[in-house]
Amino acid sequence: MLFSSTVFLFLFLPIVCALYLLVRKELKDYVLLLASIFFYAWGEPRYVAVMLLTIIINYVGAILISKYKCKKLLLLLTILGDLSFLFYFKYFNFFVENINALFDGHIDFIKVIMPIGISFYTFQAISYVVDVYREEVEPQKNIHKLALYITLFPQLVAGPIVKYHDVADQIENRTVDFEKVAYGVKRFIVGLAKKVLIANTLGAVADKVFTQPIDQLDCVTTWLGAICYTFQIYYDFSGYSDMAIGLGSIFGFKFLENFTYPYISKSISEYWRRWHISMGSWFRDYLFLPLQRALSLSKTYGKLSHRLGRRKINILLTAVALLVTWFLIGFWHGAGWSFVVYGLYNGFFIFLEIITGWNRDRKSFAGRAMQHFYTMFVVILGFVIFRSDTMNYAWHYLLTMFGAERGETMYHLIYYVDRIEIIALIVGAICSAPLCSKMLEVEGRSQLRIAAVNLWLLALFILSAASIAASTYNPFIYFRF
Amino acid sequence: MNRDEIYAKLTEIFKENLDLDEIELTDTTTADDVEGWDSLAHIGLIAAIEQEFGFRFAMKEVVNLHNVGEMVDLILQKIG
Repeated sequence: MLFSSTVFLFLFLPIVCALYLLVRKELKDYVLLLASIFFYAWGEPRYVAVMLLTIIINYVGAILISKYKCKKLLLLLTILGDLSFLFYFKYFNFFVENINALFDGHIDFIKVIMPIGISFYTFQAISYVVDVYREEVEPQKNIHKLALYITLFPQLVAGPIVKYHDVADQIENRTVDFEKVAYGVKRFIVGLAKKVLIANTLGAVADKVFTQPIDQLDCVTTWLGAICYTFQIYYDFSGYSDMAIGLGSIFGFKFLENFTYPYISKSISEYWRRWHISMGSWFRDYLFLPLQRALSLSKTYGKLSHRLGRRKINILLTAVALLVTWFLIGFWHGAGWSFVVYGLYNGFFIFLEIITGWNRDRKSFAGRAMQHFYTMFVVILGFVIFRSDTMNYAWHYLLTMFGAERGETMYHLIYYVDRIEIIALIVGAICSAPLCSKMLEVEGRSQLRIAAVNLWLLALFILSAASIAASTYNPFIYFRF
Repeated sequence: MNRDEIYAKLTEIFKENLDLDEIELTDTTTADDVEGWDSLAHIGLIAAIEQEFGFRFAMKEVVNLHNVGEMVDLILQKIG
């Protein structure tokens, strides 16, 4: 079920909200859990079992970890269990394809559809058992509460990847009040408008460009496609996150922000602290930092430290940790080489920034402008790799962008963009900077101002709803991962 | 060992690891205040502190340190 579908907006959500607010406190968890499972089963009835099995494995795993001495082994076994589902459904055929190509083999593909949201809920499950292992939280004794954490429908299918230690208290104890519900509804509308009015509009342009054969694109068209896609994916995914955070608020949860204006970043390192924050911080807390630390505690580190000198060994160690982390971040996005390249591409720039200090704050306006320009340049080119179906297509697309290749264009630019789409692009570019970031604040605002904002949101909602009613199926980009 | 003694030792470790001649550490000093204390140097600093004081930080402790004061508190707690 999509957040931006009529079934969700006008049936599922109102019914669940009403039930949730009406039932006794002890029953609220169950209402939300059943609603979440129903939400998931709506599109994926067969795979509910996989998700429930994940819950049971991690429930039992965490309790064993907290009870027995061989904590590390139990942790590894639980994570292995989680990852084996992910591997089977998401990566098995990718490996078969590559092994067949490498060794000229004939291993059969398995007939499998990836369960929606598996990349997200698997990571939440891992966050839970690692937090228990690190003794940051107590293991959850009530399985329905753990199930609620994993299945909670606002963040089930495309994040934010909520970390267990961030919501442990809220799962045990949360209150629902009018202000949270009001904020949640408003936040949801902002997200809906971002998705429906801007992302979908710009997505139409990006799709037209990226589905052209590469020999029919020229320089201007490729830049248009890349820029439209850059804004489409931001509004698509941050809009989705706004909706998730808003829905969470309606049910009394406070999720951490997932996007904080990534396109104002002045380095790629900063960009990844502002873009899909919940994923970046997951990889940082559960992979990069532990890996970096494990390497620094190894015997080889001590030996090499004397031979190479401190700075060189730390650079080497960071390079290894970044390589592993960004390879896996790319791979997490999808079982394809272009995603791996996308991950390594970002990791490469972060490594450069770390060793050169290029990401340090500049004082002069020109210096900051340069940093900003560099960042957006790297981001836009990165999204070309991300959007392309094959590396071959990405390569020729990039060559065309820089004039090294030029296709025979069949269409004039008018074919790709109309007036509405140009307006969406301009509005999109302006609103990706924090100009109206305090729009939803109510404290200390005059009644008139609050009323004006509410009217504006109402107008956005009507526009969005009308657009949904008129348009065809339009899934979120991140549902694929 | 008291706070002053820990500060004296930390100052030596920082000077040596960051190749600085002078450095003044206080409770509120953060990585931003010290030249050369970047994420690369941080790995070496943590390793050197563990070696000097003879204990290991837990993962969550490394992640949650915000300034030198918290670091000293943690060291006191570990060796105390």
